[in-house]
Amino acid sequence: MCIDEQLISSYLDGELCEPYKSQTEEHLSYCKACNARLEKLKKVSDLVKLSSPSDEVLSKGKDEVFALLEKKYLGQKKKHISFLRRKFEVTFPTMVTSAAAVVVIFVGGFVLFGSNSSQTNEIVPSFNLQAGQDNVRFVSNKEQGLDSYSLEEIMKYLDSKGYEVDISIKGLKPLEETSTEPTSLE
Amino acid sequence: MEIKSTDASDFKLVYDSSFTLLMRVSYHIVYNEDIAEELVQEAFERFYVKNMTFPSVDEAMFWLIRVTKNLALNHVRRHKRELNMVEKVKKMPGEASSNQDGSKQLIEQETIQAVRKAIESLPDNLKIVIKLKEYTDLDYKGIGKVLGISESNVKVRVFRARKKLEELLGKEDGYVY
Repeated sequence: MCIDEQLISSYLDGELCEPYKSQTEEHLSYCKACNARLEKLKKVSDLVKLSSPSDEVLSKGKDEVFALLEKKYLGQKKKHISFLRRKFEVTFPTMVTSAAAVVVIFVGGFVLFGSNSSQTNEIVPSFNLQAGQDNVRFVSNKEQGLDSYSLEEIMKYLDSKGYEVDISIKGLKPLEETSTEPTSLE
Repeated sequence: MEIKSTDASDFKLVYDSSFTLLMRVSYHIVYNEDIAEELVQEAFERFYVKNMTFPSVDEAMFWLIRVTKNLALNHVRRHKRELNMVEKVKKMPGEASSNQDGSKQLIEQETIQAVRKAIESLPDNLKIVIKLKEYTDLDYKGIGKVLGISESNVKVRVFRARKKLEELLGKEDGYVY
């Protein structure tokens, strides 16, 4: 029985591994038909290989192309492109965003840290909310709190000012009246 | 040895070991030396610009072959009409003798044309495999890596392509054999 022709093709390429290689060789040593097949395949292969320009022709531009590539890429590595000469490319959305950012920072800067009240008045007349000596008035400088007055005094004071006062007393346990009375003034 | 595509000495090493091979791959797809050279140059430019690292020179070469092959195939697809014109001009008697060299004198111009025609009539998947097999020094494994197919698949395709070529060249004209 003859061997598969595909094996012959692989044998021709020297790609057969060992058990098959020697078996094929052995078969080829006596089988004329298979030898003829091998010859045919070899002829086709050689024909294809030969119908190519020689390596000298194909590689005549080798140095030229390398010089070009070297100039374009490899040489450039040492040359550092200075910051100012570098090309900047900005896309449209980026431009819009940065413009908006500038406006926000500009306005925000004025609102937060800008200037005294008179300057604010000049720039934005209706926007004068700055606290200063002229628009803040001290109502009281007594150090006492509300609890230094008795309830009666507070009531009297509020009454004289014309407030209507409603006092309600809340307790969790109605029988213990000794606890301090929580009051709410309205 | 690790290969870095932007390293000058690595680049030179890969360039020297693969330029001719890439030219062969490229030439046998576009069949024009100048265009082939342009495409190989383009492949090396991409190699540099991509700034890649390969485990070995061979791996870098496989990458380059793959890129060159794709560039060439794209070129052919895009410029089919122009290339047909070029072929026609080349076949005119006056032009044919101008690009002869050593190997072409050994084998007749007519035979080259016949072989080329036979190869180009193969289906695409066989065509590229047989080209890589016969025009580069790659083994089945290497071809498989370039094309992303298995070694045994390469083996089968090489065989099928050879059988078809045998058939095409055998019946077409007696002078081949």
